[in-house]
Amino acid sequence: MQEGRALADRQINRDLLHTIFTHPKWQWGLIAFFGIIVLGAMCAAGYMFNRGLGVSGLNRPVMWGFFITNFVFWIGISHAGVMLSAILRLSKAEWRRPATRAAEVLTVFSLMTAMLMPLIHAGRPWRVFYWVFPFDWARGVYPNVRSALIWDPSAVFTYLTSSTLFVYIALLPDLAVIRDRSTGIRRQIYSVLALGWRGNPRQWKLQIIAGVLLSALILPVFVSVHSIVSFDFSMAIAVKSWHSTIFPPYFVIGAVHSGVAAVVIVMAVMRWLYGWQEYIRPEHFDALGRLLVVVATGWFFFFVLEFFFGLYSLEADEIAVKDFLSAQAPWSWWFITFVGTTYFIPVGMWLFKGVRRNPGLMIIACISVNIGMWLERFLIIVPGLAQKQVMNFTYFTYAPSVVEVVIVIGTFALVCMLMLLFAKVFPLIPLYDIKEGEIARDEIQIGRRKVPAVLREE
Amino acid sequence: MARHPHEAAERTGPPEVHLSDREVMQDLAEKYDAACPKFWLAVAVAGGLFALGVLAFVIRALDVGLSDSSRNEYGYYAAAFAFLIVTATTAPLAAIAFRWTKNHWRRPFSRAAELFSLVGILAVLAFIPMLIVLPGIDLNGDGVLELGKDRRTIWFSAPIGAPIWWDMAGLIGVVVCGLALLWVSARPDMAQIAQVSNGLRARVMGRLACGWQGTVRDWNVQKGQMAILGAFYFMLLVWVHTLISLDFALSLIPGWRDSIFAAHHVLTGIQASAGLLIVVLFLMKKVGGYDRYIGVDPFWSFAKVLLGVTLLWGYFWFSEFMTFWYGRDETEQTVIKLLMVESYRTAFLLNLFFSFFIPFVLLLWNGVRKSVLGPTVAGASVIIGAFFMMVRLYVPAFNIKDVGAESIAEFEAAHGGTAAQLLPVLPGPLDVLMVVGMMAGAAFIFLLGTRLIPIMSAWEMKEGLMYVLYRPFMKGKYLVLGKPE
Amino acid sequence: MAKTGVLGLYSDANYAAEAGDGLQRMGISDNDYDFLTGAPYPEGAFGEKESSHRLYVFPFVGALCGLTAGILLTSMTQMAYPLVTGGKPILSLPPMAIVTYEGTMLGAILFTVLGIIFESRLPRPSLGLYDDRITEGYVGVLVECEPEEVDRVEQVLTQAGAEDIKRGKV
Repeated sequence: MQEGRALADRQINRDLLHTIFTHPKWQWGLIAFFGIIVLGAMCAAGYMFNRGLGVSGLNRPVMWGFFITNFVFWIGISHAGVMLSAILRLSKAEWRRPATRAAEVLTVFSLMTAMLMPLIHAGRPWRVFYWVFPFDWARGVYPNVRSALIWDPSAVFTYLTSSTLFVYIALLPDLAVIRDRSTGIRRQIYSVLALGWRGNPRQWKLQIIAGVLLSALILPVFVSVHSIVSFDFSMAIAVKSWHSTIFPPYFVIGAVHSGVAAVVIVMAVMRWLYGWQEYIRPEHFDALGRLLVVVATGWFFFFVLEFFFGLYSLEADEIAVKDFLSAQAPWSWWFITFVGTTYFIPVGMWLFKGVRRNPGLMIIACISVNIGMWLERFLIIVPGLAQKQVMNFTYFTYAPSVVEVVIVIGTFALVCMLMLLFAKVFPLIPLYDIKEGEIARDEIQIGRRKVPAVLREE
Repeated sequence: MARHPHEAAERTGPPEVHLSDREVMQDLAEKYDAACPKFWLAVAVAGGLFALGVLAFVIRALDVGLSDSSRNEYGYYAAAFAFLIVTATTAPLAAIAFRWTKNHWRRPFSRAAELFSLVGILAVLAFIPMLIVLPGIDLNGDGVLELGKDRRTIWFSAPIGAPIWWDMAGLIGVVVCGLALLWVSARPDMAQIAQVSNGLRARVMGRLACGWQGTVRDWNVQKGQMAILGAFYFMLLVWVHTLISLDFALSLIPGWRDSIFAAHHVLTGIQASAGLLIVVLFLMKKVGGYDRYIGVDPFWSFAKVLLGVTLLWGYFWFSEFMTFWYGRDETEQTVIKLLMVESYRTAFLLNLFFSFFIPFVLLLWNGVRKSVLGPTVAGASVIIGAFFMMVRLYVPAFNIKDVGAESIAEFEAAHGGTAAQLLPVLPGPLDVLMVVGMMAGAAFIFLLGTRLIPIMSAWEMKEGLMYVLYRPFMKGKYLVLGKPE
Repeated sequence: MAKTGVLGLYSDANYAAEAGDGLQRMGISDNDYDFLTGAPYPEGAFGEKESSHRLYVFPFVGALCGLTAGILLTSMTQMAYPLVTGGKPILSLPPMAIVTYEGTMLGAILFTVLGIIFESRLPRPSLGLYDDRITEGYVGVLVECEPEEVDRVEQVLTQAGAEDIKRGKV
């Protein structure tokens, strides 16, 4: 699986740190471009806070729309980091090396973005403090632990804190590399950040153990986060199609699907933008493609079970939601698009090795997955709510307003901008991991063939 | 890690690296030829218990008949059958999965996993009575599916052959696929045995090897066949778990709507079959004479997988429980009472204890994972847990008479307390004999299977010699793992 | 008398490992020299002593703290504000378990991170005797010795193939 040529430490430093030490204009241009979109989204949000939620498309009975869809979507993307970094680290997969940092950073930024969505959706973000934090000592009013909406912030906060610390701990050796290449104030800043890292065997040993130990600890948090997000829906019995026992694992595997696809997009873009062809090689896309086939098929199994059990109930209002979703235009068109783009189109592409090894085609397949997964969340949330229920006295369907669309687009720009800014100050590919891979690289001669091999500690 | 890495490696790593190709072949052939008296005693005991189980089944069938009206008499039989599916029928998946992921530590047990395909023959036979006692769907026979009168099933208005023929077709499919996989995988060893043996065995093995010569083409074709059969086995197995769990448990309990149930059933199968293979590996090492081929490595690696699956098992259960508990829906509350907290509370607690708490608490510690006994105890525990899970799911399902009701919550309302249909049912002597007989039958077939096909795959062990090496590097000596494309 | 530091720099890791052997032959204790590298080598590659640590204790302590905090937070706030919702008991164990679980994991992870930093003997206020070339592929052999041993140590390091030798405070 190791197809690249052997690389020297000096070259690895030069290649992977040039995003920090060189300043091409296009980088700032791109950052400014995304910044302007983010600014637009901030203006839209400010306008909404000023005028009220009436400027959004939310109305009875659909009170969760684009914002909550986007919240679930970004939580899903945040699962990329742990899926790739933790699981592949624990399974000692060699091909993880160039992917882990980008995946972990994507986790942090997408989680931060996700956390913005309920705040924006609340319309009066400052009131969220009463909902989340147990601080009202004077009046003795505290959050309701029995509400799924309380579990959410506790899980997301734990996940964000853990992921950020995970990124930082894994960055320590690389911060020392930047420190050693810097001068002046920059050297001082990186010296503080690197905590005086020198790279003795004890530090390396703990760094390796830290990777495994933190991975093992974050994995259960990662599973809990999206499960708890799914509880926001599945705990409710009033909304038909939501109260389903499969929601937690269905959400988690969907998150892994969209998250890993997002990492592929990030890797392909990094490869193209920064010229990292030596580091992010076709073999990495191939391995990710295979992984995605398995994840996508697992997701499809859960999707079928979830959809099917709505019909199994034989209850008219449950069936009405499924009918609304899959047989009534325009929802049926969205539904077909969702299933096609999430599973059939990308998996059909990934079955071919030529596609899996082609970064351009992988981007197309992975964008398709993420379009589908965004639609999936939308189609879980809105059709269930858009049913006339017993106590409804008015009844509207849902169409997003311009404000919502701008804010949602702004979140994508925000994540892109943050990733670019991160690349300006920290390496997006872990240098020490690549160097370790070079040390562990070996070959076994069998007859006339050289089989790639890896040196392992027990 | 110890000061001198190679010492630690020799202690935990695969021992076959110290053997030569010829040694492996000769040694495994000798082991295959020789069967000690203890082995035949085990075969005799298993065969005897199997015969008793069959006898118990015949007595029960003659006594109460075999139809929908006597379905309640076969609850434990159904649980034992389901247990067979979650353990023996799921076991070949381990060989398939770890071959896909190219894990070298799979080599000592991959053939044992595949040998469990033979037990599928018993599963197919045992399935026939289950199909006979399964109630129809259109209970009043008017050709229209009505909630509260007819049965709510995954087949809705009963398409052609559903569920009986589809379920049977699925099971036969998975068994045939498993046997084909076993044959494809064992051909190189069969050819080898045909060469070194004589008499009837040589002739049978020669025939079964079907002209295997070991050419490059032979190996490439075998690799392709194993990949395709493995993919089919996996898909068919998930299908069979889904059909059996939904047709023979969920749909027999009116009002029970549980979208995670089939997936949980599959997962329980993966967990229990992993436990089964660890126990088999332990027996091969300690009793079977394969000590020199089985180091700590497979136990250690399998234990990590088992820990992950155990955590997932707990997670799936919690997802199910939490949704039902939180919703406060009357039917869901009754389902929880029936399957977990009231009627089958003992079975549920034993299930939770053995399937989750014991393996979790044990395997949390690396010292336990990195041992032979620790993973084996955890493996045995999950097997026991899976059995109690099958009991708490299938016994109540088979004891509900009014399968056409809209919900079991109605039973309580009509009865004014816990309805008789929902009361726990304890096994009688014949039930015990049937359950033990089913398990003994599986062991009997498996043990006889090891006389037909070697329990350790010689070609995979020899392949391991090429790809797993110890090499010096600077001041240490380390494991080098080849990763062929 | 205060000890002095000597740093030998090697472009070949094998030479650095040989230097370690030379230092041992010279009678320098393995507590008094260390290898500085820009990437993790397999443990024992330099023939170095296995370093013991207590990192695994940290997550357990953290988990215990988090668990306690979680139980206290969920039970005390509910008892202080006993509002019945959804017909559930005020102290409902399944929902409490969720928040407590998150608290437990947060505690475990926070303590693990602290443990990693602590056990790595970080933060170091000053780098001490160090060379920037270490993160460029060179291997540093850092020796702490008595002032009278410095010349011999330098000789051993040079004989093993050191490309550069530095003296200073460790």
